[in-house]
Amino acid sequence: MLVIRDLVKKYGNFTAVDHLNMHVERGQIYGFIGPNGAGKTTTMRIVATLLAPTSGYVEVDGVDLQKDPIKVREKIGYMPDFFGVYDNLKVMEYLDFYGSAYGIEYAQRRRIADDLLELVDLSDKKDAYVDTLSRGMKQRLCLARCLIHNPQLLILDEPASGMDPRARAEIKGILKELKRMGKTILISSHILAELSEICDCVGIIDRGKVVIQGSVDQIVQRMAGETVVRFRVLRDVDRAVKLLKEQPMVTGIVQEDLVLEIACKGTDEELWNLLRTLVNNEIPVISFNKVDGNLEHIFMEVTSDEEVVL
Amino acid sequence: MKKWYYNPVLASSLKTRMRGWRTAASVTAYLGVMLFIAYIFFRIYIQSQGAYGLSFNANQSVGLQVYLTLAILQFALILLITPAQTAGVISSEREMQTLDLLLCTKMSSVTIILGKLLSSLGFILLLIVASIPLFSLVFLFGGIAVEDIAMLFLFYIITAFAVGSIGVFYSTLFKRTVVSTVVTYVTIFFLGIVSVALGVYMMSMHYSQTPQPVDYYIPFILYINPAVGLADLLSRQAVGQYAGNYGIIGLVIGGMGGTPQGWLQQLPFWVKNTVVISTIATILLVISTWSLRPYKKIRQKNKKELAG
Repeated sequence: MLVIRDLVKKYGNFTAVDHLNMHVERGQIYGFIGPNGAGKTTTMRIVATLLAPTSGYVEVDGVDLQKDPIKVREKIGYMPDFFGVYDNLKVMEYLDFYGSAYGIEYAQRRRIADDLLELVDLSDKKDAYVDTLSRGMKQRLCLARCLIHNPQLLILDEPASGMDPRARAEIKGILKELKRMGKTILISSHILAELSEICDCVGIIDRGKVVIQGSVDQIVQRMAGETVVRFRVLRDVDRAVKLLKEQPMVTGIVQEDLVLEIACKGTDEELWNLLRTLVNNEIPVISFNKVDGNLEHIFMEVTSDEEVVL
Repeated sequence: MKKWYYNPVLASSLKTRMRGWRTAASVTAYLGVMLFIAYIFFRIYIQSQGAYGLSFNANQSVGLQVYLTLAILQFALILLITPAQTAGVISSEREMQTLDLLLCTKMSSVTIILGKLLSSLGFILLLIVASIPLFSLVFLFGGIAVEDIAMLFLFYIITAFAVGSIGVFYSTLFKRTVVSTVVTYVTIFFLGIVSVALGVYMMSMHYSQTPQPVDYYIPFILYINPAVGLADLLSRQAVGQYAGNYGIIGLVIGGMGGTPQGWLQQLPFWVKNTVVISTIATILLVISTWSLRPYKKIRQKNKKELAG
């Protein structure tokens, strides 16, 4: 459904996307993961025909993006990470407007809008003004907007950002339903646990390149040999981070308040040495244990030069 | 089947713009200002007639003076309001983060640009139409025909289109509405004031260098100024047959020497003026349409690469 080959996007001397390659099968949910500024949004905007690439090839459902962007627009539904809504427009009118923008007949687009509002659970809000909706509702409405012309590929840039857990769960439910309907979805998110639950395939992007991609299970297997250790300190967390960064065996650090998760390579003996180094430097470690590999750990390992704060 | 004349952006913008009390209040305020100024002028005119010992008589002269006042006032208001209406049509979409959603639909850039421009001009048109009863007051005094008002309103619409296109152009070019609005007003100022000063200077230089001029010279810069076009139109309507066939520009040229030759030179200046400003406006709209989306550029670039 989506093929990206050697995609490059440069802004002056800065390379936002650097020979990126990606392949998304029809009906797949592809999770696009990467730290801020890694090139996720740029890549998605290129696929959504909103940015012209510097070089490279993008194909959506067999259509070359650069040869026929209009045809590509018919095949995609794009939901940006940040988007606005028009004042003075009601929910039904909002969908009606975008339906008409795709040339759908009035009666048909009304029918589709009704169905979509039901899908995103906003049927009772159809006469409400869009700017009065909560953020979660606006996100769901925007998702419905993406679907108004029945696109084959959905490009969702951080669709659950800034939403509470309940709203995120609702979006997740809708995405599962869309997958059941046969839609192909390219989704980026920072909430990796959620992505690993719904995605068939994930690609981790760093500095404009996909550093690893495949199913979550495949990636976890490929990254075997890496150890993830979670430990809690009583205080001096900044000093602990500084100390850990100096250790060659540590490949990634995730900090969450006083809890640190590190990805490292080495034997149990070396791990014990690491703990001893911390304690000898008077870091008050109060718990220290190995954890099973998951998407978050892989993420921090492959984006190893970054200190990732989730 | 999709109707060719249906523009979703225009339909939606008109709906949201006309909804609520703001538009009605704006039209009321606009007409109120026009009526107030026309009334003040009317009072002053009557008093000045009395001061010279003339008894006031509702004659054609009063009608003409009221008409000229209203015509110039409405023109100034159009120049003032149109940039405010159009200079943010695209940049505000960018600021509101709604432009991307529009650009990834199937709508063409032409549809988006024209929809935005026409919805803004729709409001200006509403103001112009709403002022018809005010202009009808002139008929109480006589001196102005219905065709004169129709011609004036046509001129207004073309002027609004031209000024609106400048606003849309800058709105597409600049990311921030504040910047595009300021630049649009600066451009209007240049067109309205600076171009006249430059034009008059160029004419005086031209005629001063030829002691007995026989040619008919109007610098191009005057053709891009709708205010000069309005002056020409109003002078023809006000003076009628006494203005000859050349209006205010003809009178100036006639004063300096030179006679219009051929049909093109004899065409009223305001007609040529409207043709020039409409052409420039169309070019600006084409550029706006071209620069709205990135893909036309890349396709052209690719063609060049393929050719290379």
